[in-house]
Amino acid sequence: MANALAWFSQSGVVQGLILGAVLAFLTAIVIMNAVGRAVTTTVNGWSAIRKCGQPGNGVLVRAACAKALPVVNVFEEAAYWTATVDGSGQALSGRHGYVLHFPAGKLPPHNAFWSLTPTDAVGYMVDNPTNRYSVGNRSPLAQNTDGSVDLYLQHHAPSGHEQNWLPIPPGNFKLMFRVYLPGAAILDGTYQLPLIDRAQ
Amino acid sequence: MNRLILKYGRPLTAVILAVFAWVIYRRIANGDGIIPLVIAAVIVWALGAPAFIYLWPRLTVNGYKRAILKHGFGEGPIPVNTLYAVPGTSSPSTATSRGSLMATGADDLLYVGGWLDLSKGPQILHVPDMSGRYFSVQFTDPSKSTNFAYVGKRTTGTEAGDYFLSGPGWKGTVPNGMTQISSPTHSALVIGRVFVESDSDLPTAYALAKQIRLAPLKQ
Repeated sequence: MANALAWFSQSGVVQGLILGAVLAFLTAIVIMNAVGRAVTTTVNGWSAIRKCGQPGNGVLVRAACAKALPVVNVFEEAAYWTATVDGSGQALSGRHGYVLHFPAGKLPPHNAFWSLTPTDAVGYMVDNPTNRYSVGNRSPLAQNTDGSVDLYLQHHAPSGHEQNWLPIPPGNFKLMFRVYLPGAAILDGTYQLPLIDRAQ
Repeated sequence: MNRLILKYGRPLTAVILAVFAWVIYRRIANGDGIIPLVIAAVIVWALGAPAFIYLWPRLTVNGYKRAILKHGFGEGPIPVNTLYAVPGTSSPSTATSRGSLMATGADDLLYVGGWLDLSKGPQILHVPDMSGRYFSVQFTDPSKSTNFAYVGKRTTGTEAGDYFLSGPGWKGTVPNGMTQISSPTHSALVIGRVFVESDSDLPTAYALAKQIRLAPLKQ
């Protein structure tokens, strides 16, 4: 018995168990991230996972969803998109300004509400002096003469366009676009969010 | 803490792997065998990776369960079969605290949270008349982290109603005027959301959120 214990402690089995558990954990993370990317659809830089939350999902999709968007709504209840890069593939950063251009009548169709929220790179909202943390269908957005709407995403207020300003953090940031009770055009994929244009 | 792990996950992982590499290097340098170590590691790795993936949804939902039953959202633990309405919407000052049910933050929704336990019998979910206001009550299976039922504007409308929640294997008669929701498991995570139009609408929305309630079936 004592011999067995001595062998057990000196053989490296314990280190092996710990190493195996850590590798298993990391492998699981890598696989879940890969599955998460595989089920993500990205259009114009906006990424969404439409499958999450559905009871019929298999083991891999369930795990990938639980990791990417824990206990998230099903897509027909609420559509969520995230964006971390602009239209040219560059990481979003508060050092730049961005414009989201919605053509006339092309704000997201919904039966509840929509909103756009910036967060820091990790996913937390960041304080800003104007206390405006999102814009959405309840914001009094100004229309251009052709009926289109431009949203100005920048750290400092855009002069002349304060009404359509969404303050963003100074550093790298993420955007979250949420449409609750998304309209039919979102559910069938014909509606697309506009590109995030970096302002010149 | 979570924030630090999220932010420094990669360097942290690199450090841990470097420590392992050093341990193995020392064993080889000292002339100790590494075969038992490698065999143990490979077995645990091969069994552990699928196990982690399988259990991940459960671990995630259990995090919410613990948050609800042990900590609550600002006013102490929330007992099973009780719904708690968080009085305010998320903002940066609260989003990092336990007050926020969802890390994504939403300043247009009030959240209601609770843990459902049907092992001692059915429960009844009451929702007030929302008069067209957007709301939803999501029921999440704790083993899969998928949503097996919704009550709300999309699925049931915004009129007042009572919903009969029964666990697996329950037999009996559903009371008149109630819609049955069969839960695939005895427990479930319940997340309610009530739309807030504006700051001045907050008291109305909160009063409605508080009326989303669970009660046991009266014998």
